[in-house]
Amino acid sequence: MKSVVTTVVASADAAGRFPSTSDLESVQGSIQRASARLEAAEKLSANLDNVAKEAYDACIKKYPYLNNAGEANSNDTFKAKCHRDIKHYLRLIQYCLVVGGTGPLDEWGIAGQREVYRALSLPTAPYVEALSFARNRGCTPRDMSAQALVEYNALLDYAINSLS
Amino acid sequence: MDNRFFSLFNLTEDRAIEILDTPPDLVAESDSRYIAASHLINFQTDRSISALIRAVAETDPRLDNKIVRRKSVEILGRLKAAQALPAIRFCLQDEDCYTVENAVWSIGEIGTQDPEILAEIAQLLEQPGQSYRVMIHTLTKLNYQPAVAQISKFVNNIDPPIASAAIAGVCRLTGDYTQMERVVAMLQNQNVLGRRLSIQDLIDARYYQAIPDIACCPVSLVFRLRGIRMLAEAGIGDGSIDFATVQPYLEQSLRDRPQDLKLVHRYDQLPELSALIRDLYETDFGKCYLATQTIVDSYPDTAPAALFADYAEEANNDYGAHFHVMKIMGWLKHAPAYDLLIEALHNTQPQFQKSRAAAAIALGEIGDSRAIPELHKSLDTKIWDLKYAALMALEQFGDLSGYEILKDDTDWLVRAKANSQL
Repeated sequence: MKSVVTTVVASADAAGRFPSTSDLESVQGSIQRASARLEAAEKLSANLDNVAKEAYDACIKKYPYLNNAGEANSNDTFKAKCHRDIKHYLRLIQYCLVVGGTGPLDEWGIAGQREVYRALSLPTAPYVEALSFARNRGCTPRDMSAQALVEYNALLDYAINSLS
Repeated sequence: MDNRFFSLFNLTEDRAIEILDTPPDLVAESDSRYIAASHLINFQTDRSISALIRAVAETDPRLDNKIVRRKSVEILGRLKAAQALPAIRFCLQDEDCYTVENAVWSIGEIGTQDPEILAEIAQLLEQPGQSYRVMIHTLTKLNYQPAVAQISKFVNNIDPPIASAAIAGVCRLTGDYTQMERVVAMLQNQNVLGRRLSIQDLIDARYYQAIPDIACCPVSLVFRLRGIRMLAEAGIGDGSIDFATVQPYLEQSLRDRPQDLKLVHRYDQLPELSALIRDLYETDFGKCYLATQTIVDSYPDTAPAALFADYAEEANNDYGAHFHVMKIMGWLKHAPAYDLLIEALHNTQPQFQKSRAAAAIALGEIGDSRAIPELHKSLDTKIWDLKYAALMALEQFGDLSGYEILKDDTDWLVRAKANSQL
């Protein structure tokens, strides 16, 4: 699983050298942010269902004309797709917070996923809208500390950027 | 092309253009330029194309605009807007690798033989951090022979999907198929995306020999069926194969028994039933099939009640688990699931579409003859795999009348199946 630590060690090993000062500084930076990341991971874990539900509910509110029951425009279609996939992405974001790198999103959520979405003509807009809502909704200190929110939002941005 | 989701947002063309043209800073909270750009796929008009080109020209570097720009590039490709080629080409030099990726893909969709554009795409293979698969696919699709040497450098890439694309690309450009078994081997990759993407490469390379291997690949049957169908279409079209060769593998995939798949995961000890049911929600279907097989083998008596409970609680609203519940009820030949399966068979919500064919197969397994007229209703839909699965289920009931009904069907595979039995 790719993280700051494994990346530093892998690149040092590939070059047959010890980690450089800048390598160690980046590891140090990652460790310093670890408690904020773990706080965000814990809060997200405790509220995963609510965050996912709020995100897709917000999309429904934003696009109230998604209402032709039983057809492609139906609320149920949008909600069911969003609910499953948003939860998946939030889970990967939680893993990233734990790992301290974007490896889980890169390996399980992004690499190849853009190609699959394009090949099957699957819409990315619902995910992007729901994740954007989750990003804009986060509030400190109500949800988590300011530093934890920075870590969480950075990964939401990363997912939005990679999926769109 | 599958366009079930194109009209998701139900905007008018005028309104979508108006939103897309709004400067990023002035967009109302209730609007989304990203959605507006996505929605213009529905309008192949000069007005929409011009609006998308204007969106590509808006280079505000903030994330909200960047994703709109990228999506606009993609939609121009989907619309095959040749007049947008200069604007899209400009994006090949963008700093954002996903914008570059979309530009390359769109150029492939639009199609060009402009040697300067093709050389520019080939040059991207020399740059770090690019989406090499898309570049390789596009150069190969456009038959750009001068790129063979550059693509060859990736055949041993550390990333299996990139290596897979490169091997397939070299094969297509040179006609040397000796390395294609390496792509076939990637059908057993631990990463589900690796498995899915190798199917795409086998399709692109028209590697018909891989059809039996694709039928065993532990990914969603959507990917297996897509691969087999596209290869069959190409291979039957050029006379390389015939329907009889493809039919057993096609039907194996439609039937979708977990024991017919070469699974890549194992449990080190038997999980509890509740844990196995949770695995039905996995996005890696390889894990779902392992759970399905284990449930059928180890919990045949207790599973139905637990599955009904889980369905009522959650699986009714999760298109993955929904599908697997239908399948398992069939493998367990659980007669009380009849009503549930009939409901799934006739469910028109698009995200549950693959559950319909699954329900048809399960009804055939259960063998309750009340299902026969219900399956006949499924012969009269536009969904090819549902019609085909309904024919297979009716066969199990000994009802062969569907062949006559579908012998002139609009779908060539359904027609081939019907006529093969007449």
